[in-house]
Amino acid sequence: MNHRMLTIMISVVALCVVVLCMSLAPRKVSAQNVVQDNAPVYNPYPPGILPSDLNSELERVLREVDFIEGRALARWHSLPPLTVTNQPPIFKDSGTEAVETLGELMNYDKNISPNKNQACASCHMPYVAFSGPIPSVNLTMIAYPGTSHFRAGKRSAQRYPYAPFFPVLQFNEEQASFFGGNFWDSRATGYLLRNPDAHQAQGPPVDTQEMGNPDTACITFKLSQASYRPLFEDLYGKGSFDINFPADTEKICATPGGASVFGTDTTPVKLSPEDRIRSNNVYDHWGQALDAYEQSVQVSSFSSKFDAFLAGKAQLSPDEMAGYNLFRGKGNCNSCHLDGRSTAPTPPPPEGTAPNSQDTGAAASTAPLFTCFGSSNLGLPLNPRDAFFYQTKPDSFGFTANPLGFGYRDLGLGTFLRSGFGSWASPNSTWTQFAPANDGKMQTSSARNVAMVPEKCASTEAPGPYFQKEFFHNGYIKSLKQLVHFYNTRDVFPFDVTSGNCPAGKTEKVDCWPRPEVRNNLDMTIGKLDLTDHEEDQIVAFMQTLTDGFTRPYANRDTFTGVCKTGGSAKTQGNESLIKTPHLPPCASAVCGVPPLPTTPIP
Amino acid sequence: MTRLLRILAMTAAAGSLLFANGITGQTTAPAIKVARVQIMQGPELESANGDTAIITWRSNNPGGSDEHFGVVHYGSNPGELSRTAKSHIRLNPNHSYTVFRVLVDGLKPQTTYYYTVDSMQANGSSDGVKSTVNHFTTR
Repeated sequence: MNHRMLTIMISVVALCVVVLCMSLAPRKVSAQNVVQDNAPVYNPYPPGILPSDLNSELERVLREVDFIEGRALARWHSLPPLTVTNQPPIFKDSGTEAVETLGELMNYDKNISPNKNQACASCHMPYVAFSGPIPSVNLTMIAYPGTSHFRAGKRSAQRYPYAPFFPVLQFNEEQASFFGGNFWDSRATGYLLRNPDAHQAQGPPVDTQEMGNPDTACITFKLSQASYRPLFEDLYGKGSFDINFPADTEKICATPGGASVFGTDTTPVKLSPEDRIRSNNVYDHWGQALDAYEQSVQVSSFSSKFDAFLAGKAQLSPDEMAGYNLFRGKGNCNSCHLDGRSTAPTPPPPEGTAPNSQDTGAAASTAPLFTCFGSSNLGLPLNPRDAFFYQTKPDSFGFTANPLGFGYRDLGLGTFLRSGFGSWASPNSTWTQFAPANDGKMQTSSARNVAMVPEKCASTEAPGPYFQKEFFHNGYIKSLKQLVHFYNTRDVFPFDVTSGNCPAGKTEKVDCWPRPEVRNNLDMTIGKLDLTDHEEDQIVAFMQTLTDGFTRPYANRDTFTGVCKTGGSAKTQGNESLIKTPHLPPCASAVCGVPPLPTTPIP
Repeated sequence: MTRLLRILAMTAAAGSLLFANGITGQTTAPAIKVARVQIMQGPELESANGDTAIITWRSNNPGGSDEHFGVVHYGSNPGELSRTAKSHIRLNPNHSYTVFRVLVDGLKPQTTYYYTVDSMQANGSSDGVKSTVNHFTTR
């Protein structure tokens, strides 16, 4: 036995003793203690920002996460042994499922977070196509609480399905636009792993307001302790975790990132240069395995009614078909949410030449993704419920998420290109010059699965039974009806007010749209589509055909144990939770004063 | 259960094969640049408030880059349309015509403005649209 092995064994024994002691120590089991072990709850929020059922809903989701993790463990144990063949080495027959299963095990592993209370899936559950699983959060604070309660991010949780199909971010000179990347602001470019989705998966574990690990080495450390470590080693090598972690690793990794004890140190786990390389490799595989899961047919399954329609195995109802014709006709939705149909002018007149309700074109793609991989500024109003605006005071760790308060503006891609506040560093300085042309732009999501809800809730739409979702980057929109109505009438009912301040006699989201948070680079493809109320409903009906799980069950969609809502109208759904936007200070210089400056000042 | 998992794995493999050709299939070829871009309707005022106005018109689909801009040249003197507003729109290669809408910002209230319109590709090259000089008055 060499010295290295002996050191590892001693470390493992020591860790086991620590873990055993921790598990035997008396603990309170009140709701508060289940979700937060030691630190006092951080609550800088005015009354009403945090939903009243937040703790019980977080616990519900955590139970569901554990349940699916149990399924994934069973899946792993039923895998046949991995056999390497050939050069280059291939895990013959079962390699695909093995790496997807590893990603699944990681996705539902709450132990990765410092407080062992948050998995990736905590904000991305399968029954809502891996978007936010808590209706009351979707209705109120928009961003999901992180491991450190109640820090929260700034944007809504994006869906996993089809995110792995986005290409590496690139600036296209002919289109003078960026295409690809992951995240609302495309900051997960995929420049190094050549995979934006894997790059994306490396974000939340070390995001101060999400999982909040203070160092990527903490994820490596926790994976080295995971029950599924053997699967990781089978796939990526037995020596993957041959790393001498310092004795204080456990303590460091139980402290959320941004804590003042770390100062400006971004690698508080002190590893040798060789071990840091090993740890970085493990973290790359973390991203790649999660990407494998998200790209698998469990998640990106191409099993919607529309897929069956394309294959000639299902008929769309008259309303769905009318909605599809509007989607690619008067609504012009498929100018960005590409439907992969032929380049022949298929819509009915006046947009095209095909007779009404007749699709004369052949499919250009049998698996359209309903996105152009681009970004646009749709002109959404600032959402004053966004929890980010209120995190202006330090928490008990001395961390302040948003010292700018309501001086913050979400410039999306523009801020990323400047390596600005709240985004990541850009890996490409030649892109910086394009920041002003991209202020306010957010990624065009795939329209697939926008309507997915748990089996027991009929839809996203009141009167239901419905599951309350949130739409767009800041969750301002609460139903698909409102989503289509926004595209249709943004410029028909514009009011120079902020949200919560529409004039008397006007109803916000019905006949009053507050001014955009960012007016620069406003997309004018939308705003006045001249759709009737019924036509809006037909587009919603079509979007519901894009929900996976029609041709075969969608994996783990059966795991929702919460409650569907009933009552009200999709037009005004969620309006009861509107609050008045306070008087907004000007955009802070830390956002809008970073060169190259916005083309016109952002108020 | 094992059988189900095997089926899932096989389907995953099939999905991967599909993906191999997937990306290229997503991008619709841009519409071919037409020889002459002609206005079919407008330009006209869609709406005007104190400091903003939206000008709209419909032309045949100019083709070229999907990422496109509507352009309004305007000023308070009909002989000097020295200011320019441009708004992003995305061409739909499947459509025979295109609706352009341009947001003109920073206007003075109760002022008459004169304007002509054009459109341009993402790289800034003009579609060569000819329009008459129209006018509108802000509220």
